[in-house]
Amino acid sequence: MKFKILSLFFIVITGIILIYGVAGMPDLADPDSPASRHVSPEYIQNTYKDAHTPNMVTTILADYRGYDTLGETTVIFTAGIACILLLKNLKGRKSHD
Amino acid sequence: MIDFIVTKYNYLFYIVLFLIGFYAIIVKKNLVKKVIGMNIMQTSIILFYVSIGCKKDGTLPILLDSDLHSHAIDAGKYLNPLPHVLMLTAIVVMVATLGVALAVLILMYKQYGTLEEDELLKRIK
Amino acid sequence: MITPFNFIIMIFVLICAITAITVKDLLSAVVILGAYSFFMCLLWAEMGAVDVAFTEASVSSGIGTILMVVAIIKTTRRSKD
Repeated sequence: MKFKILSLFFIVITGIILIYGVAGMPDLADPDSPASRHVSPEYIQNTYKDAHTPNMVTTILADYRGYDTLGETTVIFTAGIACILLLKNLKGRKSHD
Repeated sequence: MIDFIVTKYNYLFYIVLFLIGFYAIIVKKNLVKKVIGMNIMQTSIILFYVSIGCKKDGTLPILLDSDLHSHAIDAGKYLNPLPHVLMLTAIVVMVATLGVALAVLILMYKQYGTLEEDELLKRIK
Repeated sequence: MITPFNFIIMIFVLICAITAITVKDLLSAVVILGAYSFFMCLLWAEMGAVDVAFTEASVSSGIGTILMVVAIIKTTRRSKD
Protein backbone atom coordinates (compact mmCIF):
# COMPACT_ATOMS: atom_id res chain seq x y z
CA MET A 1 0.00 0.00 0.00
CA LYS A 2 2.83 2.35 0.91
CA PHE A 3 4.58 1.38 -2.33
CA LYS A 4 1.42 2.15 -4.31
CA ILE A 5 1.06 5.63 -2.81
CA LEU A 6 4.76 6.36 -3.44
CA SER A 7 4.53 5.25 -7.08
CA LEU A 8 1.33 7.27 -7.60
CA PHE A 9 3.22 10.29 -6.26
CA PHE A 10 6.04 9.73 -8.76
CA ILE A 11 3.55 9.26 -11.60
CA VAL A 12 1.84 12.55 -10.77
CA ILE A 13 5.25 14.29 -10.67
CA THR A 14 6.08 12.87 -14.11
CA GLY A 15 2.72 14.08 -15.44
CA ILE A 16 3.33 17.60 -14.13
CA ILE A 17 6.77 17.70 -15.76
CA LEU A 18 5.35 16.48 -19.07
CA ILE A 19 2.51 19.05 -19.01
CA TYR A 20 5.08 21.76 -18.28
CA GLY A 21 6.98 20.59 -21.37
CA VAL A 22 3.84 20.76 -23.54
CA ALA A 23 3.75 24.56 -23.14
CA GLY A 24 6.66 24.85 -25.59
CA MET A 25 5.18 22.60 -28.27
CA PRO A 26 3.49 23.95 -31.43
CA ASP A 27 -0.31 23.83 -31.72
CA LEU A 28 -2.10 20.84 -33.20
CA ALA A 29 -2.27 20.91 -37.04
CA ASP A 30 -0.19 24.07 -37.31
CA PRO A 31 1.14 24.30 -40.91
CA ASP A 32 4.13 26.42 -39.82
CA SER A 33 5.35 24.12 -37.05
CA PRO A 34 9.14 23.54 -36.96
CA ALA A 35 8.76 19.88 -37.93
CA SER A 36 7.08 20.71 -41.24
CA ARG A 37 9.20 23.71 -42.26
CA HIS A 38 12.72 22.43 -42.38
CA VAL A 39 13.24 19.13 -44.21
CA SER A 40 9.82 17.86 -45.22
CA PRO A 41 9.21 20.37 -48.11
CA GLU A 42 12.37 19.02 -49.76
CA TYR A 43 11.01 15.50 -49.59
CA ILE A 44 7.55 16.52 -50.81
CA GLN A 45 8.91 18.45 -53.81
CA ASN A 46 11.57 15.98 -54.91
CA THR A 47 10.05 12.51 -54.44
CA TYR A 48 8.46 12.19 -57.86
CA LYS A 49 11.52 13.59 -59.61
CA ASP A 50 13.87 11.18 -57.85
CA ALA A 51 11.93 7.94 -57.59
CA HIS A 52 8.83 8.23 -59.85
CA THR A 53 6.49 7.00 -57.12
CA PRO A 54 3.52 9.12 -56.07
CA ASN A 55 3.49 7.76 -52.52
CA MET A 56 5.97 9.80 -50.49
CA VAL A 57 6.06 7.50 -47.47
CA THR A 58 7.28 4.48 -49.43
CA THR A 59 9.80 6.61 -51.29
CA ILE A 60 11.34 7.98 -48.11
CA LEU A 61 11.23 4.56 -46.42
CA ALA A 62 12.87 2.60 -49.22
CA ASP A 63 14.94 5.16 -51.16
CA TYR A 64 16.10 8.06 -49.03
CA ARG A 65 16.28 6.06 -45.80
CA GLY A 66 17.05 2.62 -47.15
CA TYR A 67 19.85 1.96 -44.67
CA ASP A 68 17.43 2.77 -41.85
CA THR A 69 15.10 0.07 -43.13
CA LEU A 70 18.04 -2.32 -43.45
CA GLY A 71 18.87 -1.73 -39.78
CA GLU A 72 15.24 -2.38 -38.87
CA THR A 73 15.40 -5.69 -40.71
CA THR A 74 18.51 -6.55 -38.68
CA VAL A 75 16.55 -5.85 -35.49
CA ILE A 76 13.73 -8.17 -36.57
CA PHE A 77 16.26 -10.87 -37.50
CA THR A 78 17.96 -10.59 -34.11
CA ALA A 79 14.60 -10.80 -32.33
CA GLY A 80 13.64 -13.91 -34.31
CA ILE A 81 16.98 -15.61 -33.56
CA ALA A 82 16.61 -14.72 -29.86
CA CYS A 83 13.07 -16.20 -29.73
CA ILE A 84 14.22 -19.42 -31.43
CA LEU A 85 17.21 -19.82 -29.10
CA LEU A 86 15.08 -19.15 -26.01
CA LEU A 87 12.23 -21.51 -26.91
CA LYS A 88 14.37 -24.26 -28.47
CA ASN A 89 14.57 -26.52 -25.41
CA LEU A 90 11.07 -25.82 -24.10
CA LYS A 91 9.93 -29.47 -24.19
CA GLY A 92 13.04 -30.89 -22.53
CA ARG A 93 13.05 -28.42 -19.63
CA LYS A 94 11.82 -29.65 -16.26
CA SER A 95 8.45 -28.09 -15.50
CA HIS A 96 7.58 -26.80 -12.05
CA ASP A 97 4.00 -27.41 -10.90
CA MET B 1 -5.85 27.99 -19.66
CA ILE B 2 -8.89 27.13 -21.81
CA ASP B 3 -6.94 28.22 -24.88
CA PHE B 4 -4.06 25.96 -23.85
CA ILE B 5 -6.41 22.97 -23.56
CA VAL B 6 -8.25 23.66 -26.83
CA THR B 7 -5.18 24.17 -29.03
CA LYS B 8 -3.01 21.43 -27.48
CA TYR B 9 -5.54 18.79 -26.40
CA ASN B 10 -3.67 16.10 -28.35
CA TYR B 11 -0.56 16.40 -26.18
CA LEU B 12 -2.63 16.17 -22.99
CA PHE B 13 -4.31 13.01 -24.31
CA TYR B 14 -0.94 11.39 -25.03
CA ILE B 15 0.33 12.32 -21.58
CA VAL B 16 -2.70 10.59 -20.02
CA LEU B 17 -2.08 7.45 -22.12
CA PHE B 18 1.64 7.51 -21.25
CA LEU B 19 0.85 7.77 -17.53
CA ILE B 20 -1.61 4.84 -17.75
CA GLY B 21 1.15 2.70 -19.26
CA PHE B 22 3.67 3.95 -16.70
CA TYR B 23 1.26 3.11 -13.85
CA ALA B 24 0.78 -0.41 -15.23
CA ILE B 25 4.54 -0.95 -15.46
CA ILE B 26 5.29 0.26 -11.94
CA VAL B 27 2.32 -0.83 -9.81
CA LYS B 28 0.89 -4.01 -11.37
CA LYS B 29 2.41 -7.22 -10.03
CA ASN B 30 1.58 -9.51 -12.96
CA LEU B 31 4.23 -9.63 -15.68
CA VAL B 32 1.76 -9.86 -18.58
CA LYS B 33 0.10 -6.72 -17.24
CA LYS B 34 3.51 -5.04 -17.33
CA VAL B 35 3.94 -6.05 -20.96
CA ILE B 36 0.48 -4.61 -21.75
CA GLY B 37 1.50 -1.36 -20.04
CA MET B 38 4.69 -1.22 -22.12
CA ASN B 39 2.60 -1.64 -25.27
CA ILE B 40 0.28 1.23 -24.27
CA MET B 41 3.26 3.48 -23.51
CA GLN B 42 4.92 2.82 -26.89
CA THR B 43 1.64 3.43 -28.71
CA SER B 44 1.23 6.78 -26.99
CA ILE B 45 4.70 7.86 -28.11
CA ILE B 46 3.93 6.82 -31.69
CA LEU B 47 0.67 8.79 -31.55
CA PHE B 48 2.59 11.85 -30.35
CA TYR B 49 4.91 11.67 -33.35
CA VAL B 50 2.08 11.13 -35.85
CA SER B 51 0.20 14.15 -34.51
CA ILE B 52 3.28 16.34 -35.08
CA GLY B 53 2.92 15.67 -38.80
CA CYS B 54 -0.68 16.97 -38.95
CA LYS B 55 -1.45 20.07 -41.03
CA LYS B 56 -4.65 22.02 -41.28
CA ASP B 57 -6.42 21.34 -44.65
CA GLY B 58 -3.62 18.99 -45.67
CA THR B 59 -4.30 15.88 -47.72
CA LEU B 60 -2.65 12.45 -47.48
CA PRO B 61 1.07 12.23 -48.38
CA ILE B 62 0.36 10.77 -51.83
CA LEU B 63 0.85 13.04 -54.84
CA LEU B 64 -2.26 14.11 -56.71
CA ASP B 65 -2.42 13.58 -60.48
CA SER B 66 -2.33 17.32 -61.11
CA ASP B 67 0.96 17.65 -59.22
CA LEU B 68 2.81 14.75 -60.84
CA HIS B 69 4.61 16.77 -63.48
CA SER B 70 4.51 20.25 -62.02
CA HIS B 71 7.83 21.70 -60.94
CA ALA B 72 6.75 23.73 -57.93
CA ILE B 73 4.64 21.63 -55.58
CA ASP B 74 3.02 23.49 -52.71
CA ALA B 75 4.40 21.71 -49.63
CA GLY B 76 1.63 23.04 -47.38
CA LYS B 77 -0.97 21.01 -49.26
CA TYR B 78 0.37 17.62 -48.12
CA LEU B 79 0.89 16.21 -44.63
CA ASN B 80 4.42 15.88 -43.32
CA PRO B 81 5.54 12.37 -44.43
CA LEU B 82 8.68 12.12 -42.27
CA PRO B 83 7.06 11.21 -38.88
CA HIS B 84 4.98 8.52 -40.62
CA VAL B 85 8.15 6.87 -41.97
CA LEU B 86 9.92 6.94 -38.61
CA MET B 87 6.88 5.49 -36.85
CA LEU B 88 6.54 2.64 -39.38
CA THR B 89 9.98 1.52 -38.17
CA ALA B 90 8.95 2.00 -34.53
CA ILE B 91 5.82 -0.19 -34.85
CA VAL B 92 7.78 -3.11 -36.27
CA VAL B 93 10.46 -2.79 -33.57
CA MET B 94 7.62 -2.72 -30.98
CA VAL B 95 6.36 -6.11 -32.11
CA ALA B 96 9.91 -7.54 -32.05
CA THR B 97 10.29 -6.37 -28.43
CA LEU B 98 6.92 -7.91 -27.58
CA GLY B 99 7.93 -11.28 -29.06
CA VAL B 100 11.19 -11.51 -27.09
CA ALA B 101 9.45 -10.40 -23.87
CA LEU B 102 6.77 -13.08 -24.23
CA ALA B 103 9.40 -15.75 -24.96
CA VAL B 104 11.19 -14.83 -21.72
CA LEU B 105 7.84 -14.92 -19.87
CA ILE B 106 7.09 -18.46 -21.10
CA LEU B 107 10.54 -19.62 -19.96
CA MET B 108 10.03 -18.01 -16.54
CA TYR B 109 6.70 -19.76 -16.12
CA LYS B 110 8.22 -23.13 -17.02
CA GLN B 111 11.03 -22.60 -14.54
CA TYR B 112 9.21 -21.11 -11.53
CA GLY B 113 5.50 -21.85 -12.11
CA THR B 114 4.19 -18.34 -11.56
CA LEU B 115 3.97 -14.95 -13.23
CA GLU B 116 3.34 -12.78 -10.16
CA GLU B 117 6.29 -10.63 -9.27
CA ASP B 118 6.28 -11.11 -5.48
CA GLU B 119 5.88 -14.92 -5.60
CA LEU B 120 8.60 -15.03 -8.24
CA LEU B 121 11.02 -13.15 -5.98
CA LYS B 122 10.22 -15.59 -3.13
CA ARG B 123 10.80 -18.67 -5.30
CA ILE B 124 14.06 -17.38 -6.74
CA LYS B 125 15.56 -17.12 -3.23
CA MET C 1 -8.73 16.03 -39.42
CA ILE C 2 -12.23 16.25 -37.96
CA THR C 3 -12.16 17.35 -34.33
CA PRO C 4 -15.44 15.78 -32.98
CA PHE C 5 -14.59 12.43 -34.59
CA ASN C 6 -11.12 12.71 -33.05
CA PHE C 7 -12.59 13.29 -29.60
CA ILE C 8 -14.97 10.31 -29.80
CA ILE C 9 -12.19 7.92 -30.82
CA MET C 10 -9.90 9.31 -28.10
CA ILE C 11 -12.56 8.55 -25.47
CA PHE C 12 -12.88 4.97 -26.79
CA VAL C 13 -9.09 4.57 -26.70
CA LEU C 14 -8.93 5.80 -23.10
CA ILE C 15 -11.71 3.41 -22.01
CA CYS C 16 -9.94 0.49 -23.71
CA ALA C 17 -6.58 1.37 -22.11
CA ILE C 18 -8.00 1.65 -18.59
CA THR C 19 -10.01 -1.58 -18.96
CA ALA C 20 -7.03 -3.48 -20.35
CA ILE C 21 -4.94 -2.85 -17.25
CA THR C 22 -7.71 -3.23 -14.63
CA VAL C 23 -9.49 -6.44 -15.74
CA LYS C 24 -8.38 -9.52 -13.79
CA ASP C 25 -8.63 -12.21 -16.49
CA LEU C 26 -5.53 -12.03 -18.67
CA LEU C 27 -7.22 -13.35 -21.83
CA SER C 28 -9.84 -10.59 -21.63
CA ALA C 29 -7.08 -8.05 -21.08
CA VAL C 30 -5.30 -9.20 -24.23
CA VAL C 31 -8.47 -9.13 -26.35
CA ILE C 32 -9.25 -5.62 -25.06
CA LEU C 33 -5.68 -4.65 -26.00
CA GLY C 34 -6.45 -5.84 -29.54
CA ALA C 35 -9.53 -3.60 -29.58
CA TYR C 36 -7.32 -0.76 -28.30
CA SER C 37 -4.94 -1.31 -31.20
CA PHE C 38 -7.79 -1.17 -33.70
CA PHE C 39 -9.14 2.08 -32.25
CA MET C 40 -5.62 3.50 -32.37
CA CYS C 41 -5.39 2.46 -36.02
CA LEU C 42 -8.69 4.26 -36.69
CA LEU C 43 -7.31 7.38 -34.99
CA TRP C 44 -4.21 7.33 -37.19
CA ALA C 45 -6.24 6.82 -40.37
CA GLU C 46 -8.29 9.81 -39.29
CA MET C 47 -5.12 11.87 -38.75
CA GLY C 48 -3.98 11.10 -42.31
CA ALA C 49 -1.27 8.55 -41.61
CA VAL C 50 -2.67 5.73 -43.75
CA ASP C 51 0.56 3.74 -44.05
CA VAL C 52 1.04 3.75 -40.29
CA ALA C 53 -2.62 2.77 -39.86
CA PHE C 54 -2.47 -0.33 -41.99
CA THR C 55 0.88 -1.39 -40.59
CA GLU C 56 -0.60 -1.12 -37.10
CA ALA C 57 -3.75 -3.02 -38.14
CA SER C 58 -1.76 -5.92 -39.57
CA VAL C 59 1.31 -6.03 -37.36
CA SER C 60 0.41 -4.79 -33.90
CA SER C 61 -3.23 -5.78 -33.57
CA GLY C 62 -2.87 -8.94 -35.66
CA ILE C 63 0.49 -10.54 -34.92
CA GLY C 64 0.84 -8.90 -31.48
CA THR C 65 -2.52 -10.21 -30.27
CA ILE C 66 -1.76 -13.69 -31.63
CA LEU C 67 1.63 -13.73 -29.85
CA MET C 68 0.07 -12.71 -26.55
CA VAL C 69 -2.78 -15.25 -26.82
CA VAL C 70 -0.25 -18.02 -27.50
CA ALA C 71 1.84 -16.91 -24.51
CA ILE C 72 -1.22 -16.94 -22.25
CA ILE C 73 -2.28 -20.40 -23.48
CA LYS C 74 1.22 -21.67 -22.69
CA THR C 75 1.29 -20.08 -19.22
CA THR C 76 -1.76 -19.16 -17.11
CA ARG C 77 -4.92 -17.08 -17.38
CA ARG C 78 -5.21 -16.02 -13.77
CA SER C 79 -3.74 -12.89 -12.27
CA LYS C 80 -4.04 -11.30 -8.86
CA ASP C 81 -4.46 -7.72 -10.02
